[in-house]
Amino acid sequence: MLALLAAVWLAAGSPAAAQSADDGEAVFSAKCAACHTIGGGTLVGPDLEGVSDRREPEWLSRWIAEPDLMLAEGEPIATDMLAEFNNIPMPNLGLTDVEVASLVAYLDARSGATAVSEPEQVQAVEPIVVGPFEPSGDTGKRLFEGSDRFDNGGPPCLACHSIAGIGALGGGALGPDLTGAYGKFGESGMASILAAPPFQTMSPIFDDRPLTEEEQAHLALFLSQAAVSSRTAASVGQLALLGAAGAVVLLLATQLLWRRRLREVRRPMVARSRARIERSRQAEDERRGTTSETESR
Amino acid sequence: MDIRAQVSMVFHLDKCIGCHTCSVACKNIWTDREGVEYQWWNNVETKPGTGYPTLWENQDEYKGGWEAEDGRLQLKLQSKIGTLGNIFYNRRLPTVNDYYEPWTYDYEHLFNAPEGDDQPTARPISLITGEFMEIESGPNWDDDLGGSPVYASNDPNVGSLTDEERTQLNEIERVMFFYLPRICNHCINPGCVAACPAGAAYKRGEDGIVLVNQDKCRAWRMCISGCPYKKVYYNWSTGKSEKCVLCFPRLESGQAPACFHSCVGRIRYLGVLLYDADRIEEVASSPESELVEAQRGIIQDPFDPEVIAAAKANGVTDGMLQAAKHSPVYKFVKEWKLALPLHPEFRTVPMLYYVPPMLPVLAKMKDGKYDVADAEVEGLKPQLTSLENARAPLAYMANLFSAGNEDIVTEVYRKLIAVRVYKRAEKVGDITQEEAQEALALGNMTAEEAEAIFRLTALPSFEERFVVPPLAREVAIEQIESPYDRKREGGFGSRTAPGRRW
Ligand code: SF4
Ligand code: SF4
Repeated sequence: MLALLAAVWLAAGSPAAAQSADDGEAVFSAKCAACHTIGGGTLVGPDLEGVSDRREPEWLSRWIAEPDLMLAEGEPIATDMLAEFNNIPMPNLGLTDVEVASLVAYLDARSGATAVSEPEQVQAVEPIVVGPFEPSGDTGKRLFEGSDRFDNGGPPCLACHSIAGIGALGGGALGPDLTGAYGKFGESGMASILAAPPFQTMSPIFDDRPLTEEEQAHLALFLSQAAVSSRTAASVGQLALLGAAGAVVLLLATQLLWRRRLREVRRPMVARSRARIERSRQAEDERRGTTSETESR
Repeated sequence: MDIRAQVSMVFHLDKCIGCHTCSVACKNIWTDREGVEYQWWNNVETKPGTGYPTLWENQDEYKGGWEAEDGRLQLKLQSKIGTLGNIFYNRRLPTVNDYYEPWTYDYEHLFNAPEGDDQPTARPISLITGEFMEIESGPNWDDDLGGSPVYASNDPNVGSLTDEERTQLNEIERVMFFYLPRICNHCINPGCVAACPAGAAYKRGEDGIVLVNQDKCRAWRMCISGCPYKKVYYNWSTGKSEKCVLCFPRLESGQAPACFHSCVGRIRYLGVLLYDADRIEEVASSPESELVEAQRGIIQDPFDPEVIAAAKANGVTDGMLQAAKHSPVYKFVKEWKLALPLHPEFRTVPMLYYVPPMLPVLAKMKDGKYDVADAEVEGLKPQLTSLENARAPLAYMANLFSAGNEDIVTEVYRKLIAVRVYKRAEKVGDITQEEAQEALALGNMTAEEAEAIFRLTALPSFEERFVVPPLAREVAIEQIESPYDRKREGGFGSRTAPGRRW
């Protein structure tokens, strides 16, 4: 919100020639600021101050446009960076060519004018302002699970994510397990993700239905609590047990429902008859055996 | 009156020699493909015996056919709602072991085996798994095993016999058996069609042949359970059910079905019957003892002008009506009342009729001599009383052919004996005319009738046995599609992907 205001304010006050870089600033605060600062130090990803000097412009454009592809190709700089930053890969943000170009222009402009930029970037990652209410982990949990609805109608986190502390069945498997997410992204990273998720799968949903600031605070607290616990092996075992019990119940139900089904006909019939024949033969033998014994004596 | 035409059949069991030529003819034409190796659309079983698939007559297990509760017909298998409830699991399917596991032999080994001390052997290989296997059973495993304590004594039809009759059936010197060739009965009230949830099984309008549409079949396999004769089979390779098609491509070109054509004993007759479709439900739900009479009643006289008019109004062709007039089946079933349906109590109103086999005369070892029921004492007179002295209990035959009604089989046997005695008196002359007349009177028939029965039984020409009606399929097809499109060769399996209805 603040970032947006800042962008509007900047755009209104700038000459037309700086349009591209200004657009880039808007994109930066919406998509990049969750993980990066310019001159504000390392967050989730590296500080982008002077990045235009460090990297070739083509490399930078491509990296912004399709980081996933470059990582998959094993591009050496990308691979090194992945190792350096906790193995958190830079996601493909689904930016258009124009957005990429304006971002590069913006980063270029900022690299040249570092000194001026100080106050702004701090604004962008400033942690959520806590209002007159107390953020509560329990409320966060209920929001996560969907027992409390998001005010703007966004789907509960559980639909796509799992996390420690929400029962054996866990949540959805579309998105990553968020148990360690807080530790990974840190307080400010998490805050900006909650404010405006930069991920391709999330932004189409949450751009229209953003979380309110209070919701963000509740969730942030819940996520930070979850970060210290972890999904224990026991809860996975619980899930397996639950699955097995369910399967047994289903099997028993079908067995009961179809207990009067046709089983094999021929083999049991033959076995029965053979047994009968065998029995009568034994009876016959015994009878004969006793008579022949008496005879031999 | 809703008169329809039915291509129907008579098997004269007295003439069957149990050679299985019919089965082999059928197998070579229709079931030598992958997935159907175990299917015998025509099979010949020994009675008393358990048949193929094992104990198929035992509907307590297989639940085939219909039952009439307070005159209301209902499939034994399940109600319509039951069909829906059980659609993903049919509880009443025979396993492949109840048919038999089909096999071939490792013939190659006979040629390729390295030199050794023993002759190489060709071990059996399963046609399902491709592995070596132990042969446990076959399509006619109890062939000729009348009296077998494993098979004959488990025959469902001996269940209601007295202990004495049962021992007699299995006793050495008195043992008896006969052959029962079976194909699909092309029933008027088919259980297979009624049970099919996909509407794939159907009865052809112009000739009553029951078929399974291979494009519509969805492998629910309810037809297999619904047919009390177990004459629909599942093709595990195509995932479709298949059954005897009464060689309709042969019929359409004027030939008799292959099993009929090849029959060595010439036991088979084929012809058209006209029946009144309005009465199907009434006939199929009649009380057990009246089932045979009711079934005879549904068959209409092809010479009756009223019937002819009704048939024509229904679109039965002149050629079909002409064939109905010459039908040997009509004579055996309706005129002479000699041929009976197999297990009418299954209530599918089968359109394949059987002339029961003549019963061997009861003979015993008496004073070290083989004594044919007092033959010495009374000359050939015992021929007349051969029914009373028959080896096979009448109750057994009644269980097979008249839902337990012994009067009906007795009538048939009196007639068959009368024809024998009458012809013997005429040709051999060792039976007096009085005796012959007595036999005719007992059989409730005239000399002309006896003569006609004799001729159609012993001396029929090919054309008399098989009166194949002109099916004029090409005409029927012209009305719905171009014969030129149709001309390409047909065959099994799906030529077109089945159409989805959603
Ligand atoms: S005998 Fe033939 S027509 Fe009759 S129920 Fe069985 S498969 Fe259907
Ligand atoms: S070919 Fe004819 S005689 Fe031979 S088994 Fe078949 S029905 Fe009987």
